[in-house]
Amino acid sequence: MEHFFSAFFLSMTPTSIAAIGLGALVGLIFGSIPGLTFTVALALALPISFSLDTVPAIGLLLGTYIGGMTGGSSSAILLGIPGTPSAAATVLDGYPMTKNGNASIALGTAVIVSVFGGIFSLVIMIVSVDLVSKVAIGFGPAELFALVLFGFSTICGLCGTSLIKGLIAGVLGLMIMTIGLDAIEGVPRMTFGSVNMLGGVNLLVAMIGLFAVPFIIEAFSEDPPGTNKIARMSNVRPELPSVRLLSRNIWLMIRSSIIGTGIGAIPGTGGAIASFLAYDNAKRFSKKPETFGKGNVEGVIAPETANNAVTGGTLIPLLSLGIPGDPATAIVLAGLMIHGLVPGPALFMNNASEVYGIYIVVVVAYVWVLGLQLLGIRVFVHVLRVPREILAVVVLVLCAIGAYSIRNSPFDIYAMGIIGVAAYVLVAVRVPITPIILGMVLGPTLENEFRTAMMLSEGKADIFYTSLTVLIFFTLAILVIIFQSLSELKNKKKENENESENIKVSDA
Amino acid sequence: MTDRIHNIILGLILFSVSVVWSWLVIDSIPAGFGDGDIGARAFPLMFGLCLGFLSTLLLLKAVFGKANVQTKLDVIANSHSVIQWLPAGLILVEIVAYGYLLKTCGFVIATPIVVLFVMLVNLRIRSIKLISGMSIGITLTCWLIFEKALGIYLANGSWINLG
Repeated sequence: MEHFFSAFFLSMTPTSIAAIGLGALVGLIFGSIPGLTFTVALALALPISFSLDTVPAIGLLLGTYIGGMTGGSSSAILLGIPGTPSAAATVLDGYPMTKNGNASIALGTAVIVSVFGGIFSLVIMIVSVDLVSKVAIGFGPAELFALVLFGFSTICGLCGTSLIKGLIAGVLGLMIMTIGLDAIEGVPRMTFGSVNMLGGVNLLVAMIGLFAVPFIIEAFSEDPPGTNKIARMSNVRPELPSVRLLSRNIWLMIRSSIIGTGIGAIPGTGGAIASFLAYDNAKRFSKKPETFGKGNVEGVIAPETANNAVTGGTLIPLLSLGIPGDPATAIVLAGLMIHGLVPGPALFMNNASEVYGIYIVVVVAYVWVLGLQLLGIRVFVHVLRVPREILAVVVLVLCAIGAYSIRNSPFDIYAMGIIGVAAYVLVAVRVPITPIILGMVLGPTLENEFRTAMMLSEGKADIFYTSLTVLIFFTLAILVIIFQSLSELKNKKKENENESENIKVSDA
Repeated sequence: MTDRIHNIILGLILFSVSVVWSWLVIDSIPAGFGDGDIGARAFPLMFGLCLGFLSTLLLLKAVFGKANVQTKLDVIANSHSVIQWLPAGLILVEIVAYGYLLKTCGFVIATPIVVLFVMLVNLRIRSIKLISGMSIGITLTCWLIFEKALGIYLANGSWINLG
């Protein structure tokens, strides 16, 4: 208790609160602009943290991380362009909600459930740090491959009207990510001798192209496909979701938080996998699965809760074992070490006050995020009042800045343009875009973990069926595919029945 | 164009992509050495073959599958799935030109030129106030926020550079 009070006083100084708030604000800005990741924001915040005391410094970094994770939803909901890969699943129902005139409800829901997910995962982290870190560290390449394969099985639920087209989209995503230097052997693949191609296609660049460029083309077209003039909405009202709506979905929020925390605790996974898995889970157990993709609020709640629950999950291996789950937490780890905090089991004994301080900082960061976002919603929804074509000009410039800033290379702008126009054509022929993103997110891990597992086992396939964890994930993947196929068949049967009824009516 | 023809064209294009992709993979990426090393070729080749298989399925379904009765909703959906080639091509040219201008002239010069061009050509806006306001406004705001406030590196030109 003594440590807790000392941590409380350290975290509640004006400097700490201001540092956390600054971090949250910068994170929100970087997270909401496609291409500007919170990893970049963290890299910029790290040198500033040198001059601060330990707790405010960690507060600045964690505030930036948490703000960035939450900020991605704003552009995903308002423009259909996810600010971060973690927000890609939010587009599926968040943007249709905006088209239906419920932008502020979607934004408000996203913020509130994000805070819920983040704090829930922190609580799980505090009570189960020892147990979860032991389980998570037991994940070898075979287990990670099985987990990613299970994540990939959710593609069946994202295929829209045609399973074949959805699978084609997924394979295209996987193919794109094999371009560039092979991560294991360093062999150039499909680079055609170009130095620029060695780095491959950056996931963020592709994401900007896939979501932003079709938006721009549609806005500039006289008769855009799928026209839904969401611009110049006169009835844009900054409303918040009702308590009833949130309490009705509390069980979904808890489920999604558990998924997010679990995925976050496994190094090398991340928010994008968690949000897609949570989305698929929400759709599977929803009373109205047919409304997903058309503006169902559950499709916003699940991915947003899960991707923020990842923040607590990633702290488990980070603090208990010193293993960062992703580049962003690697920067947080660097910040901890610079201030003399060496993560590992000894951290909880030697620096108990600072550890409690980190817990309090996370809560304060979420309070900041909640306040800033709820205030911001009043401003954000007015984006929809701007004429769509004028907004598209601004989006074009912001996307070019985002794509360029990733590697300071105009090659990424060209790649964004080519991928974007290809995506526009694919959308027009009804090939879904989301499986491409899923393929791109999961592809590199899928390949690298499989190859590493094969090398470790010297080519013996038993590595994939002797581990219980692997078998569990494989079984789950098979079950997901079977259930999805059955529900597809059921839907087809229903459609055929409706069609024959229509024919009878028209004949009569 | 009906959905069926779209799918046939899409299937043919994707099948060609898979053939070319698989051939390039076999031709340019070395295979593994065995004993657990499956090599850098295995996954790209497998993905290429998967694409070939799926595009064949799509083609077969489009050619031999049961033609759906077109409902009113399908007609509306088809009318929306017309590809606007001109705006799409124009945007591609503009994005490529923007990238090139960023490299050669830097952000401060490239951005107003591209915004001006987009407003004149794509949006056919003729109001000088709006065009100049947008061109200068977007450039200055982005430059101040990103370069000055957030410290993000915006492109410097190799030929000319301002800011």
